[in-house]
Amino acid sequence: MNRNRSIPLLWVLLMAGGMWLSAMHVSVHSELSDLLPEGTTRTQGLLLTQVRSGLAGRLMLLALEGGTPDEMAQVSRELGERLRASGQFALVENGAQDLTTQDRDIVFQARYLLSPRVGAETFSSESLRKALEQRLDDLRSPLAPLIKETIPADPTGEFLTIVTAWSAEDRPAKHRGVWMSKDHSKALLVVETKVAGFDADAQAAVQEEIRHTFAVLAGQRAHLRLLMTGPGVFAVESKQTIEQEAWRLSTAAAALVLCFLYASYGSMALVLLSLIPLTAGIMAGMLAVQGWFGFIHGITLGFGITLLGVVDDYPIHLFSHLSSRGSVSAVMREIWPTMRLGVLTTAIGFAALLFAGFPALTQLGLFAVTGILTAALVTRWVLPTFVPDGFVPRPVWPAFHGELERLTRMKPVIPAAIVLACSTLLWSHTPLWQTDLASLSPVSEANKQLDRQLRAEMGAPDVRDLLVIEGQTEEDVLQYAEVVDANLIPLRTSGTIAGYDLISNALPSRRTQQNRQSHLPERSVLMRNLDHALTGLHFSPGLFTPFVAAVESARTQPPLQRTTFEGTALGARMNSLLFEQGRSWMAVVPLRGVADREQLAAGVRSWNMPAVTYLDLKEESNRLMTAYRDRTSVIVVCGLFVIGVVLTIGLTSGSLLGPILFPIVSALAVVAAVLNLSGESLSLFHIASFLLVIGLGLDYALFFNRLEGSEEGRLRTLYGLLVCSTTTILVFGLLATSSIPVLHAIGITAALGSFCCLLFAGMMAKKVPHVS
Amino acid sequence: MTSGAPRTDRLLSNGRDSGLTGRRALRWGSGCGCVVVLLGSLGHAAAPSQWTVEVLMGLLKAQREHSVRFQESTYSSLLTKPLIAHGVLKFVPPDRLEKLITAPSHEQYVVEGNRVTFESERKGVKRTISLEEYPALRSFVEAFRSSLNGDVVQLYQVYEVTLEGSREEWTLLLRPREPSGKSVVDYILFTGSEGRVATIAIRAPDGDRSVMTILQGAGR
Repeated sequence: MNRNRSIPLLWVLLMAGGMWLSAMHVSVHSELSDLLPEGTTRTQGLLLTQVRSGLAGRLMLLALEGGTPDEMAQVSRELGERLRASGQFALVENGAQDLTTQDRDIVFQARYLLSPRVGAETFSSESLRKALEQRLDDLRSPLAPLIKETIPADPTGEFLTIVTAWSAEDRPAKHRGVWMSKDHSKALLVVETKVAGFDADAQAAVQEEIRHTFAVLAGQRAHLRLLMTGPGVFAVESKQTIEQEAWRLSTAAAALVLCFLYASYGSMALVLLSLIPLTAGIMAGMLAVQGWFGFIHGITLGFGITLLGVVDDYPIHLFSHLSSRGSVSAVMREIWPTMRLGVLTTAIGFAALLFAGFPALTQLGLFAVTGILTAALVTRWVLPTFVPDGFVPRPVWPAFHGELERLTRMKPVIPAAIVLACSTLLWSHTPLWQTDLASLSPVSEANKQLDRQLRAEMGAPDVRDLLVIEGQTEEDVLQYAEVVDANLIPLRTSGTIAGYDLISNALPSRRTQQNRQSHLPERSVLMRNLDHALTGLHFSPGLFTPFVAAVESARTQPPLQRTTFEGTALGARMNSLLFEQGRSWMAVVPLRGVADREQLAAGVRSWNMPAVTYLDLKEESNRLMTAYRDRTSVIVVCGLFVIGVVLTIGLTSGSLLGPILFPIVSALAVVAAVLNLSGESLSLFHIASFLLVIGLGLDYALFFNRLEGSEEGRLRTLYGLLVCSTTTILVFGLLATSSIPVLHAIGITAALGSFCCLLFAGMMAKKVPHVS
Repeated sequence: MTSGAPRTDRLLSNGRDSGLTGRRALRWGSGCGCVVVLLGSLGHAAAPSQWTVEVLMGLLKAQREHSVRFQESTYSSLLTKPLIAHGVLKFVPPDRLEKLITAPSHEQYVVEGNRVTFESERKGVKRTISLEEYPALRSFVEAFRSSLNGDVVQLYQVYEVTLEGSREEWTLLLRPREPSGKSVVDYILFTGSEGRVATIAIRAPDGDRSVMTILQGAGR
């Protein structure tokens, strides 16, 4: 009696303590990159760094539509200016601005170190003569007023050479000086955020600011619309969709389950009591994940709670065995060995996720294992103390005599189903495995379509292909980059790639700059050559004094560095192309319009530069995902083996192993075949859900084969099993309706699997059950 | 109707070389210039009673020639003597315009639709750009198109238009309305008689200017 009072009290205290801990210490994260693995190879490491924080993830495409071309051009121009001024972006390009005044000044000052044309011949009298004649042509050109002022200081036109080399040719068409789609229906902009693409919260804030700025500029012109796309936009959308749907679905599922429980037993007390293990499990899981990882991801929490729905089976097992004869504790003690075995094996199944090496799955595994064990212990030791004496919930629909017997007669269906399933899998045209990561993306098809369209119109600043150059120092990387440039030019000429952004074109290595400096003539030599070149050309006397002075000062000018551009627009751009990574330096070279990836990869290999890696982000992500899927599959198989061993020991008899394990394995085969027939290929998440199916199946099979004292007890056990499985099917069936591929995969696998396990376990159940 | 001449002098006297009034015009780039040049030579017989821009445009359009020769003098503050160039202007309906410089070195501009192809012997380049990239050029060409189509409304959109003088001796003054146009052109001044253009002068904002003299009867 004393114990019966102290346990509920202790329990209430513990729950209160747990709630306080959760409220004070559990931090729920939402960054998707927290769920990504570390990667095992160097390429995977590079990939994941790029995906997490790299340039590819930070590029965003914007489009304005719905107005006249002139209107959109004006808004694009103003939007560009405001976004540049906001300081949130490393780059805002809409065609309107090549260089800021600040950057122009720096580049103009350093033109003799930056221009690729500066060489031994540049300042000979012949070269100068040619250049001066070209300047005469410039003075006759329509744009003379714009060019004229640079002539006295830069008669060889180095500044223009630099700027022309920088402005990529594969850019969109323009209207009124800003980028516009070919049909003039959209003004186009590219921005690069300073925050990482996967930082969904920061991205959401930046995107909100863009929307706000646009709304202010559009003002009365309500017909103008802003379109945004890119990895950051997708990250925000994914996060919102996943969170919303995870929570919406789990809330709906919980409500559905509670209603169903009430409908099945007609007892509110039972519904409330069944919440005791569940809430304890959720809290324990949450605290365990927080303790181990230091945070819990919102998505883990959402999915985890759904997964823990299975622990509702434990109280139902207890209630379905209650009778007016024995006390609650006695009944609990009686069914505990069977339940314990089910709990252990289910926990082993989820424990396998701990070794998946994928933070998303590891968190989920820890959450589930802790939750399941806690819920089971609570069911064993705490729940009975809450159950009032004489509480015997009655099945609302008790009559299904002989159903099980009829079911067991259908046993031959199972081998037939397996044969059918295996042949389906063998001959099916649907690939067994999902290899395209994109199909797992929760981003809506409409938005993917918009992304493809804008990229095409933008001349595809593709975020898919990159070269990564690594080196000990900044100078090393720049020197490698110059070699890469020489190697890339033929690939661009041959059309293998349309273009690329290479840091060394904006910032040559110190060695190259010094080499150019060495070609700058002394003042007296330059003046003599210039005088010679000017003969017969009617330039005003003394016009080129600024030129002579500039060359003279460039001879001793310190080489231009990245830090020279600190704080300027060009500097921000440089920082995203060249940066320190750990103890080494890294340059990223985005490649645009890659026509032939194999040829490109072969080309890069043939350069024989170990410092350079070609990264096809899409292919590499898929490879990564496939690697983790395979690893998870192996873990599932190992888990299954361990479960078999535990069962053999726990059952103390090998004869039951067949009726218990066989239905589960059959169910997995059938589920895989049904999924395949419905056109779904298996992904990492289907495989992870198989673990759930194994856990559920074990539970059903163990109780089906349990020795019951009376026929009535046996019927109530069966009723309990039906209730358990129906709740599971309801919960996961609901998840299966989700538009999010991952949720759908988990839902459909678990719902189908639960159904098959129940059916097969029923068919295989021994006529005289004897799990003691 | 003779007030045109003094006005011309006044306008051009801002330049260094006011004595050259009328006989010149900046270069081609001003597609607009070409336009009107090509527009024509001899006036129509059916003369309306009022002398208006519309009437002039009608005359020029009706009388446009396929090709004319020109001499162009460029005056710049960077130079002690004007640059002299010779060449041919060609027009192929509906929208192809060519300016070919034959001396002192070969240089060619071809405007077709929104594309401008530039080819230079000295620079060794052939480049195609879009007019959209160069709003300053665009305003020239838009004026050119509207003129060729007799689209006076469009011409008025891009330029402030002032017609002075008489049908026998007229001046047409165009001042760009938009900043992009103003960045390279202060004004464009045409002189001519009937449907025949004599000179096109283009003055840049900094006072530099070019004067194109149409050599009559040399083209085909």
